Amino acid sequence: MAKVNPEFASELIKYGVGDFNECFNCGNCTATCSLSTNDSSFPREMIRYTTLGLEDEIKTSLKPWECYYCGECTKECPRQANPGELMMSLRRWLTAQYDWTGFSGLFYKYLPAFLTAMVLVFAGVLFFANLVNWELERMLHYGHLFEMLAIATVFVVIFIPNLLRMWRFSVIKAGVKAPLRNYFTALGDLFVHMFTQKRAKDCDDNHFRWLEHLVLVIAYLSLLFTTVFLNWFGTENLFVIILGYLESAFIFIITVDFVKDRIQQKKALAKNSKPSDWFFVIWLLLMGLTAFLVRLFIDLNILESNKWLYLFHLMVLAQWALIIVPFGKWTHFLYRSFAMYFAKIKSMKS
Amino acid sequence: MRQRIGVYICHCGGNISDYVDVEELSKMFHKEDGVVVSKDVMFVCADSNQKAMVEDIQKHNLDAIVVASCSPKLHLHTFRGVAGRAGLNPNNYVQVNIREQCSWPHSDRPREATVKAAGLIRAGINRVAFSEALDNIEIEVKKAAMVIGAGVSGMKAAIDLARSGNEVYLVEKDYFVGGRIAQKEKLFTSGQSGKEIVRKLYEEIKTYKNVTVFTGATIEKVTGSLGSFNIEVKVKPRYINGKIDKQTVKRAMDDCQVYADDEFNLGLSKRKAIYKNYPEALPDVPVVDVEALKDHPDYLEKYKAVINLNEKEETIALLVGSVLVTTGFDNYEPKEGEFGYKNIPNVITLPQLNRLMELSPEKLVYNGKEIKSVAFIYCVGSRQKKGENKYCSRHCCTSTIYTALQLKSKYGKIQNYHLYRDIRTYGKQEILYEQASKQGDLFFKYEEKEMPTVEMNGKGISLKVKDYLTAKKEMEIAPDLVVLVTGMVARADASHISELFKIPIGNDKFFNEIHPKLKPVETVIKGVYIGGTCQGPKNVSEAVQSSLAGASKITALLKSGTVMGDPVVARVNADICTWCGKCAEVCDYTAIREIVNEAGKHIAGVNKGVCTGCGICAPVCPVNAIEVAKYTDNEIEAMIDGFAADVEIKEKEASTVTEEKEDVVAAHMKEYPQIWKDILATIETDKKTIPEVVETLKIAPEMVTYHLMTMNKYGVVTPAGTNEKEEYYYYKIK
Repeated sequence: MAKVNPEFASELIKYGVGDFNECFNCGNCTATCSLSTNDSSFPREMIRYTTLGLEDEIKTSLKPWECYYCGECTKECPRQANPGELMMSLRRWLTAQYDWTGFSGLFYKYLPAFLTAMVLVFAGVLFFANLVNWELERMLHYGHLFEMLAIATVFVVIFIPNLLRMWRFSVIKAGVKAPLRNYFTALGDLFVHMFTQKRAKDCDDNHFRWLEHLVLVIAYLSLLFTTVFLNWFGTENLFVIILGYLESAFIFIITVDFVKDRIQQKKALAKNSKPSDWFFVIWLLLMGLTAFLVRLFIDLNILESNKWLYLFHLMVLAQWALIIVPFGKWTHFLYRSFAMYFAKIKSMKS
Repeated sequence: MRQRIGVYICHCGGNISDYVDVEELSKMFHKEDGVVVSKDVMFVCADSNQKAMVEDIQKHNLDAIVVASCSPKLHLHTFRGVAGRAGLNPNNYVQVNIREQCSWPHSDRPREATVKAAGLIRAGINRVAFSEALDNIEIEVKKAAMVIGAGVSGMKAAIDLARSGNEVYLVEKDYFVGGRIAQKEKLFTSGQSGKEIVRKLYEEIKTYKNVTVFTGATIEKVTGSLGSFNIEVKVKPRYINGKIDKQTVKRAMDDCQVYADDEFNLGLSKRKAIYKNYPEALPDVPVVDVEALKDHPDYLEKYKAVINLNEKEETIALLVGSVLVTTGFDNYEPKEGEFGYKNIPNVITLPQLNRLMELSPEKLVYNGKEIKSVAFIYCVGSRQKKGENKYCSRHCCTSTIYTALQLKSKYGKIQNYHLYRDIRTYGKQEILYEQASKQGDLFFKYEEKEMPTVEMNGKGISLKVKDYLTAKKEMEIAPDLVVLVTGMVARADASHISELFKIPIGNDKFFNEIHPKLKPVETVIKGVYIGGTCQGPKNVSEAVQSSLAGASKITALLKSGTVMGDPVVARVNADICTWCGKCAEVCDYTAIREIVNEAGKHIAGVNKGVCTGCGICAPVCPVNAIEVAKYTDNEIEAMIDGFAADVEIKEKEASTVTEEKEDVVAAHMKEYPQIWKDILATIETDKKTIPEVVETLKIAPEMVTYHLMTMNKYGVVTPAGTNEKEEYYYYKIK
């Protein structure tokens, strides 16, 4: 027995979705979706759950993560109920449900809260610079330490508990009893999906977008590795230096293309950009760009006289690592691949 | 007996003559008794032949004709016309069908086809010999119409009938006009007030001197038929002194403290014992509920100047030429316990909700509780697989959705739930459905085999539905009010009207028209029409459309003062008839009753205006005193004798047929149509395919194909192999 709760719709609207009430359940969206299958069909079912406010059903479902938002359903919808954007909003809502701290929901729903957090982090950066008397050497040193600390903390404090919550909702509460063996067997899927997003390739005809995304993910992860573990800003190794340049260049070139899409609004997925989307893509762009410039200034030996650049880079980095990564759109990266992982486990015979 | 008969047998351009030996037949019937002229003609229906027939009739002084050709559906009227033009009575003509009944179905057996045709023609000749010169029946019609039921359909029809100059009697059972639409605050899709429409229509009716409105009036007795129905109308008293001024009447109303159940508000409130349905109800004279006041002598004494208890009911006899029945519908009344109706406090019907909304201008309160959410259960009492009402009530989906929109616009934050089986907001009404979705109404689809259930739990109503839109998951809703969307059913007293006028009733208990498409407002009773929802569920527009159609039919009927009828009716031989009444018993149209003729004898009398000539009376008469014109025993027996008589026709040899035909073709080469000549010219020197002929002649390919095929059939051209690609045949002159 499911209790109908019409209030849920107004809650979800805060996560960005427009008017989906007009849906009359024709199912065109599901029919047109290239990822929907007989065993796992969406988005109609998700729209129906949302309209009726069946929160438990949505919370235990992994289907929102199975959608890669090609926008075909929105284009075909006879009632302009925008199923694609509804799936996107459900992903935001799920992110907020998984997040034990509650910050994700807060930031999605209230832009001022998000902006305040960003400003606070900025102030923190200034405070830190003041603490080390604006000395570049020390800033670079502690900046590097901060990076490592931040990654570790976010992983341990935020991501692992949140992933456990996601597992609890979507596997345990959904009543699935899978033997431990399945968790190992399905691991391959986890990594394949995490690093290739191969589902997105089937999503629509636009393989270029998938390729761009793939290159961006690899560039981003390897830049992370290069700066944190190979200490790009501190190294003398020419190979590492050039690698970093390439990675950061890839990042800001591709993100510029993504920003352009969102400005032009030609594709369905780019039409409904929310602040969380804008900050994500622009901060990624700034990360690539400032990292590139910082290393360039080091190589030209003019960073000392342009300390502001490093401070700016550090601010972007800190906001990225402390706000956007743990509580924003970045988490899609984790949840999507874990969703495929859990889905695989659920589908395996026990 | 007709002694000078003309027989015309048609070749139909080969359609008949290819298989039936029409030439032989025409020769054969020359020798028949009474036959003066017997001819076979290429096309009997051709203008030239029609002229020749008229000349024959006049020259040979023929007194009857037989045409053996195609189905009477095609040319009955053509040859009746020929007879008429020649000064012959059209009923002295018989059509024999030797194409659909002989040549076409028996093309494989030409001889038998000819024998059968001979039998049929002889039967026709024998029948026409007994034919009578009958005249059409002329029925006088009174230029007056009665409209029964003053709802929106009846009122609109009355106005149209009056505007066309008919005397109109508008009879309403209730004390006030308007019917069901007066119970609606707003009507979909226009949002107009039902009461406002009633007021306008009533005011318009009042401008016509030739409309008489009877309220509180019922039909008591109907006699007569098309053209002159005698109808007795009983008018109940209002018990209001007609001479007293309105102010005093109003004071009496205000002062009245005696209450009774309010039918107009469907039991949601009480009304005074001296009342109007609603303050603006028309006619603007209240009614006294004498039953409710009988124990209140003080009040009656106090207002004895207003209340006239001595007023008696009146019976008025009216004579009208035609009747339009617009008696409307009843709302389906759910059974006790159906979705908790009457057992659970906040379960009401849609008509009740509509009344409640009109009575609640600010807040929607029911049973002392403000209503914040409403669940509608659709198709209650409609589309029942097992129940009595199989039909869809047409208007309720839209009505419900419109009500849901009103709820939200009138009372603000109200959540609507719709539990439907299928949404049928057809036509322009679909827009409302979209609006309802847009405003956040939730829709659930249920199936009849898994009905929603309504129960009470500690907190209130618990409505459970297996939602087919959510993979049949069971959903629980907690609405403040459950509204049963009840459909339309036939009026409880529809059988009374049906018995009086003999209007047939369908399985659904609504009145039946003759044909849903071609005779949609006519009943089998001549002069009686039906309009509006007494015929079946309709929305307001559809109801008015049908009643106006009825009004137009009546106007056309009454226009000339007389109606011509077919002479094919029953007639009684007064010498033999002894009035046993058997014929009257079987007559479906009550056309026969007992009369006393001039000689003082009790016999059966046939009302020619009502009789349809169905003939059911003839075989039941024990003394053979009743017969139907044109189908008398003499005629039928003569036909049987004619058909059964031996026919001697020698078989034509197949070869001679073709040879002869070829000879004819060759002889009449110059008679070919121009197009044949053109085609033959193109293939004269060289064989050609159809596309090549088309290319040369620049005419439509279908034309070339058709004519080439015909020429091939008659052996004018012949195929000469295919072209290289084997796409087309070549043709050459044979």
